[in-house]
Amino acid sequence: MSVLERRVAGKRLNRLDAVGKVTGKHVYAADFALPGMLVGKVLRSSEAHARIRRLDVARALALPGVRAVLTARDVPQIRFGTAIKDRTMFADDEVRFRGEAIAAVAAVDLDTAEAAVRAIEIEYEKLPAVFDPEQALLAAAPLVHGGWSGYQALPVFDREGNISGRSSIASGDVEAGFARSYRVYEHRFATQHVHPGYTEPRAAVASWDGNGDVIVWTNTQLPFDMKNMLAEVLDLPAAKVRVIVPGIGGGFGGKLRVGVEHYAAWLARRSRRPVKMMTTSEEELTDAYPRQPTVVTLKTGVTKDGRLLARQGRVLLDCGAFANSGPATAAIALQVLAGPYRTPDLLLEGLAVYTNKGSTGSFRAPAGPMANFAVESQMDMIADDLGIDPLELRLRNVYREGDKGPAGETLASVSIEECLRKAAGAIGWNERRPACENGRRRGKGIACSWWLTTGGSSGVYVRINPDGTVTLVSGAVELGSGAITGAAQILAEELGVELADINVTEVDTHAAPFDYGAQGSRTAFSVGNACLAAAKDLRRQIGELVSAQCNVPADSIRLEGKSVVSGQMRMTLAEVASLSQRSGGGLISHGTAIQPMPAFDPDRVKHHPLPAWTSHSFHAHAVDLSVDEITGDVSINRYVVAQDVGFAINPTYIEGQIEGGVAQGIGQTLSEEIVYQGGRVMNANLTDYKMPTTMDMPRVESILIEKPSVNGPYGAKGVGEPPCIQPPAAIANAIAAATGVRVQALPITAEKIALGMPGRDAD
Amino acid sequence: MTRQELDLSINGECHRVMIEPHWSLLQVLRRELGLTGTKENCLEAECGVCTVLLDGKAVNSCILLAEQCRGRSVVTIEGLGDPEHLHPLQIAFIEHGAVQCGYCIPAMILTAKSFLDEVRGHVPTEDEVREALSGTLCRCTGYQKIVDAVIAAARRMNSWPQEDRRAS
Repeated sequence: MSVLERRVAGKRLNRLDAVGKVTGKHVYAADFALPGMLVGKVLRSSEAHARIRRLDVARALALPGVRAVLTARDVPQIRFGTAIKDRTMFADDEVRFRGEAIAAVAAVDLDTAEAAVRAIEIEYEKLPAVFDPEQALLAAAPLVHGGWSGYQALPVFDREGNISGRSSIASGDVEAGFARSYRVYEHRFATQHVHPGYTEPRAAVASWDGNGDVIVWTNTQLPFDMKNMLAEVLDLPAAKVRVIVPGIGGGFGGKLRVGVEHYAAWLARRSRRPVKMMTTSEEELTDAYPRQPTVVTLKTGVTKDGRLLARQGRVLLDCGAFANSGPATAAIALQVLAGPYRTPDLLLEGLAVYTNKGSTGSFRAPAGPMANFAVESQMDMIADDLGIDPLELRLRNVYREGDKGPAGETLASVSIEECLRKAAGAIGWNERRPACENGRRRGKGIACSWWLTTGGSSGVYVRINPDGTVTLVSGAVELGSGAITGAAQILAEELGVELADINVTEVDTHAAPFDYGAQGSRTAFSVGNACLAAAKDLRRQIGELVSAQCNVPADSIRLEGKSVVSGQMRMTLAEVASLSQRSGGGLISHGTAIQPMPAFDPDRVKHHPLPAWTSHSFHAHAVDLSVDEITGDVSINRYVVAQDVGFAINPTYIEGQIEGGVAQGIGQTLSEEIVYQGGRVMNANLTDYKMPTTMDMPRVESILIEKPSVNGPYGAKGVGEPPCIQPPAAIANAIAAATGVRVQALPITAEKIALGMPGRDAD
Repeated sequence: MTRQELDLSINGECHRVMIEPHWSLLQVLRRELGLTGTKENCLEAECGVCTVLLDGKAVNSCILLAEQCRGRSVVTIEGLGDPEHLHPLQIAFIEHGAVQCGYCIPAMILTAKSFLDEVRGHVPTEDEVREALSGTLCRCTGYQKIVDAVIAAARRMNSWPQEDRRAS
C-alpha cells in the first residue's frame, strides 16, 4: 500500500481516550476505590546503613482503627529484583538506605495509618556506609550487600562485591589506535539523579476474592511483569494474581517495577479488607526509580582531519542500594558511547555499583542522556581544539548505510546525516555565535545520537463486532504517549474502518494476551505489528466466509468503507460479523509480533543483555540560547529536533513525545537533581526538586524524518525515549559556544556557568 | 468525633458533608464525594493538579480547608462540560493534541478557564498564557500544545456573540 492511499495511519487524529481525560471521567489508579477500603502506609528507615536492634509494633497495633501491621517477621523474606534478586519487601535485620521500608500498616483512614507508623518503635546500630560510586569500587569500601554472592541473578551479568554488573564492548585494538592518533583527548563527565516526575503518584488497590485470588488495580507500565513479581512475593501461583491497569498518569520508566503493590496486597491479605496505597512526594524522591547518576570517562583518538580512530570509555553507574535495572543500563550506555560514529577501535566498559542510597531505575532512555552528554560534549571539545566546525566533525564520522555497529551488526536505514543537516539548517548553523544583546551572550549547539526500539513480544485479540465496530484487547498500557491510538490507527487502516470504530479495553492480565509492556519505545511499534498480524488473520477469516457464502474468490476480497468488497459484491463488515457469529463464533483473531535480533559478533560484546540494537532510530537536536553575563542564567531562544521516526503513525502525538522529552531533558540539563548529602535526600519535595514549568520551556520545533525501518509497522521506528537524550549535550555545547564555559557535570546551573566566566574568581 | 456539618456548593449543586475541621477541599471532593476529576499529587500546592475554581478563581484545593469554602461556589472539571457538551477549552485541548497522560489536564483546563474569564474579550499572548499556567506541572507535553490550545480556545470564545459568551 502506498503512503498516498492511507486513510487513517499517518493522520493527525484525536486520541481515543481524549474525551474522558478532558472531562475528568478517566479513572486513574490514584482515583480507584473500593467500598470498605483501608489505607496503607510504610515506615521507612531514618538511617542509610544500620542494623535494626529493636523493632516494636505493639503501640501501633493497639491504636483504634489499625487493622494490620507487617514487618519482616510477618512475611516470608523472599528476595526479588530485575537483574539480581537482592531486595526484600521489608529490611530484614539491616537497612541499606535512608528510606528503605521496615514496616507497613493498614488502618481505617490516612490519619490513623500515619499515627500508627509514628507509633512503631525502632532502634538502630549504625554501620559504615558508602555513598560515592568511585569509593564503592575500592577494596576497603563497606559492602552494601555482604551476601551478594549468594543472590540469584540473571546469568548474563558479571558481578563482584559492590559491582552489581559489568559489561563490555570491544573491537580492534585501542592502544594501537591511540598510538596512530594525531591527538588523544581524555575527559570526565558526571550526571545526577533525576526523577521521572510523573504527576500521578504510584498507587495501588489490592483485594482478595472468594477463590483466594488477589486483584491489584495499579498504574504499572508492565502488568505481566507485575503479576509474576507479585506472585513471587506473595508466594502464590501466577494464575492467582490478576493485575488491572486503570488510567496511568505518566510513567517514563518510573512505573516499571513494584512500588506499593506488594504492600497493598500483603496488607489486604492480613486485614481481609481491600487496601489502597499511594506514594507521597517525599517517598517519590527517596524510594522510587530515578535515573542513576553516572561518572563517565572518555578517551578518544583522532586524525588531524578529525576522523575518530579509537575510543576507550567507562560508564560508572550508581544504582543505589539495589541493582534493579542498573546492570542493564550500564550495558546499554556502551552503544551510546560508541555511536552514532564509525570508530575502528573500541574498548567500552559499563559498571553498575551499589551504594547506600535509594534505588534507581529505567527512566526514559536509560543511559541515553548520561552517555550522550559525555560523547557529544567531547565531540565539540575535539572540534574546538582541531579548529573544525562541530557539525562538520560529526558529519565526517557518522554511520553510513551498511556500516558495522558496535556489536558488528550491519546497520540499515541510517539517517543520521539527514538529521544533523536538517537540525543545523533549521537553527541557522552558519551563524553559531550571534552578537550579544543586553548583557546576554548567545550561542548555538548541536548534538546527535541513536537509540533502539526495544523488542519483546506483543499479542492482541481483535474482534469485529456484529455492529461493525472493532474491539482491541491488548496487554499493553496506554501510558499517555498515544501509542495505543497509534496501534488502533494501523488496525483501522487494515480493516477498512475509521479510528472511532475501534474500542480499546482496559488492560487486565486475566483477559488480555501477553505484552512485554510499555517500555523501550516499543508500544506503537510492537502492538502495531501485532495489529497488522491480527488484521491479516481477520482478512483470511472474512475471505473464507464470504467466498463460500457469495461464491467469489477469497483472494479477490478487499476491506474498505466498513465493507467487504469483491467486484460487484459488497457486504457490510457488520453483516459479515453477524454471519460469522451465527455460523461459527464470530470474527476474532490473535495477532502476535516479535522483533528479530540482528546477527552480531559475540566476541565483541560481553555480559550485555541487549548486545545488538534493533530498529535503531537516529536524531539530532540543535539549540539557540542566551546566557546572562553576570548571573549565568540560561534562556533558550529556539530548540529544534530532527528525528527519524521511520513512519509517522500520528504526527501530532509524535511531536508531543518530542516536546515532552525535550522538557525532561531541559530539566535534567539545567535544574533537576535529587540532592544527596551523605545518605540523605536534601530536597524531597516538589518545591526544591525543580522541574520545568511553562515559563522554563521554549517552543520545540520538530522535524520528522521518515526513513522506513524493515521491522516496524509501515516502516515505523520507536519514538518515545529519544527526545530526552540530547538536551544535556546540545545545551552544554551551546553554552560553551556562547560563553566559552564548558560544564562537565549536570545540572548546568547558573552558578556553575557564572563561576566559569572569564574575569570571575572561582572562589 | 469532631465532625461538623458543612454545606458546599459544588458545580451548582448543594452537598451536605460531615467533615473534620482539618480536612482539605481536595480530600472532601475526592474521598467524600467521589469527584475524582480533581487530581491529587504533592499536597503542598507545587504541582497544581488539584486546581478547582473557587468563586471563579483557580485555587489549589489541597491547601484549602473545606471549611473555607462555606457559602462559596466551587467548580470542578465535572462541572465544566460533559462528553456531549464539551467546553471550548476541552475541545481545543483535544484538537491540539494537548492531552497525553491527562493527569494534569483538568487543572490546566480550569486554570485556563479562570484566566480567560479574567481577560475576557482579549486573545492573550503566548507569554501571558504561559504565565497564567505556570502553577501546574505537566511532565508529558512540554506545555506547547497546551498553550496553543488555550490560545485557540480564547479565539473561539471571543468570536461568539455577546450573549453566548456570558453563558460560558
